[in-house]
Amino acid sequence: MSEAVLLDDEVLKIDNLSMHFGGLKAVDQLSFTIKEKEIFGLIGPNGAGKTTVFNCITQFYKPTAGNVVFRNNKGEVQSLIGVKVHDIIRKGLVRTFQNVELIPELSLIDNVMVGAHIEFKAGLVSQFLKLPGARREEKAIREKAERALAFMGIGDLKDQLAGGQPYGVRKKVEIARTLMCDPKLIILDEPAAGLNDTETLQLADNIRKIRDEYNCTILLVEHDMRLVMSICDRICAISFGKFLACGTPAEIQANAQVQEAYLGEKEAEAEKDMKEEKSPLEKIKDNLLGKEN
Amino acid sequence: MDKKQNKAAAFFKSKYFGYIIFGALLSLLPLATQAGVLKTSMIGIVGGTIIYSIVAQGLNINLGFAGLTSLGTAGFMGLGAYISAFLTENMGWAWEASLIVSIVICVLLGLVVGLISLRVEGLYLGIITLCIAEIFRKTFEELDPITGGYAGKKASFPTIFFGGWKLNQAQNYVLLAIIMVIMMILTYNLVHGQIGRALHAMRGSTSAAQAMGISLFKYRLMAFALSTGYAALGGVLYVHFFRFAYPSTWTLTLSLNIVAMVVIGGSRTIFGPFLGAVIVYSLQDLVIKRIPVIGDLNGISYIISGVLIILVVMFYPKGVINFFSQIKEKAGKSKAAAPAAVPAAQTESGKEENADE
Repeated sequence: MSEAVLLDDEVLKIDNLSMHFGGLKAVDQLSFTIKEKEIFGLIGPNGAGKTTVFNCITQFYKPTAGNVVFRNNKGEVQSLIGVKVHDIIRKGLVRTFQNVELIPELSLIDNVMVGAHIEFKAGLVSQFLKLPGARREEKAIREKAERALAFMGIGDLKDQLAGGQPYGVRKKVEIARTLMCDPKLIILDEPAAGLNDTETLQLADNIRKIRDEYNCTILLVEHDMRLVMSICDRICAISFGKFLACGTPAEIQANAQVQEAYLGEKEAEAEKDMKEEKSPLEKIKDNLLGKEN
Repeated sequence: MDKKQNKAAAFFKSKYFGYIIFGALLSLLPLATQAGVLKTSMIGIVGGTIIYSIVAQGLNINLGFAGLTSLGTAGFMGLGAYISAFLTENMGWAWEASLIVSIVICVLLGLVVGLISLRVEGLYLGIITLCIAEIFRKTFEELDPITGGYAGKKASFPTIFFGGWKLNQAQNYVLLAIIMVIMMILTYNLVHGQIGRALHAMRGSTSAAQAMGISLFKYRLMAFALSTGYAALGGVLYVHFFRFAYPSTWTLTLSLNIVAMVVIGGSRTIFGPFLGAVIVYSLQDLVIKRIPVIGDLNGISYIISGVLIILVVMFYPKGVINFFSQIKEKAGKSKAAAPAAVPAAQTESGKEENADE
């Protein structure tokens, strides 16, 4: 394992990361670094291993090899390998999930307050008896959660149950929940999946606003190329777990390797298109791919 | 002055006030029996219901909130009962001291059991806890000097204020009601705070909970130990209320009954376990056994309880406590039916409350 070293402006370094499931190399010697206050995109075709990278960073998976180095919220540089899953958030690293994971039986505000779990200091007895200390903490965190919900533009829905909310709202709640722990790095797993165009535009705004106002770095995996290309400062492209390229959106779009891995299929089909009439199924497929472009 | 009034107004509107009123209404039962309106045996039945509702409330934290299956409740309840009986009868301890010590011993033992068994989930956890409860029960049978073996262990009504006031059955019953109200308030506080939310999160999605910094093991252990504490409290109250503990009481049947109380009454609610205890424990004595012909058939009440459990689980998975709100919801959906159905539901809920008392 390499040493835990980061340059001054770097917040996260993935160093030769490998994750093997049996014979399958889901992630293979992947390296990239994320700078402070950057919106960093991780892209790749389906099954490229993006979510596996996320799970390795947040220690849901124990990587087969390699290192994940992080500058935590105290400014110390440390390796995340071996840190317990539930301690990751204490370092200032928080994530959302591909399939929104909220508690349907609780109100939106209670769901957001779960995000401040680590901020509570009151013990069992204090909470049992609702002693002044526990009461104060609860009140302060409730107010903070109200601010986070208002920040995401859904402050008026705070007392409604999470279960009955539309997908777009639940996604916002999940992002609001990540804001509760004053994160240093937020990892968003497909934040635009399932959102309509207006909601996606709103999301892009919100992500920038979060970066600026909460002063944090954002790493996101996303399939919606318009979103990725419009908001990311830098992008890392991977395919079959292997590093392809890293650079600005323009560089990535111009990169031949990325085009081949990501868009190649479409180009091949475009050529085919010139020669012969397309079947309806192919047209639908093209539409889908076209949207991603 | 104004602030004080506001505080008072807020209190009357709060859940606490509801629990206290409920406890006060239950405490009126001995007056009714003294006046000859109700039979004296009612005190024993409702008292038992209160005790089981406390135990079920504990399991509610474990099963309802944390989503952990435990079939060992009866074992810990029995343990609490025997320890307290031994400490007061053989060692001459004060009731308060034996109450605290019994609970502490059970919680510590619960922590040890939890440390071992909470590495598995679901059915496996159920089986492990069941085995542990069976070990306890076997111990109760064999450990003659402390538990009295098959012959059972005698205890007496509590003498509270460290030997200052010997209670009779009616007073002991009021004490039970008071303790139940206290436990309701404490449970309410707990589940509406950080720990409650953590338990909710854990049940919903373990990975999301972990990402939010919730240690699964810590909170599972906490839920398990808490439910053990409630069970021990129930056991102590039981042995001093019924003044006898037999090994045959603390069986799998009792554990399953307590699970049924939580499920039928309505998990994740405060009144649910009480309602469940009424249905599972006292409905047979209060209602079914009094119905002519049917009530005389031996064992029929068990069949009715079983059928009820199935019906509730199939049609009201949220429990009987949500029965009326669910009806109102349905009535609200078909607007034409709404004005007729809501008053009907209200009068029925009124009847149910009367039955509770």
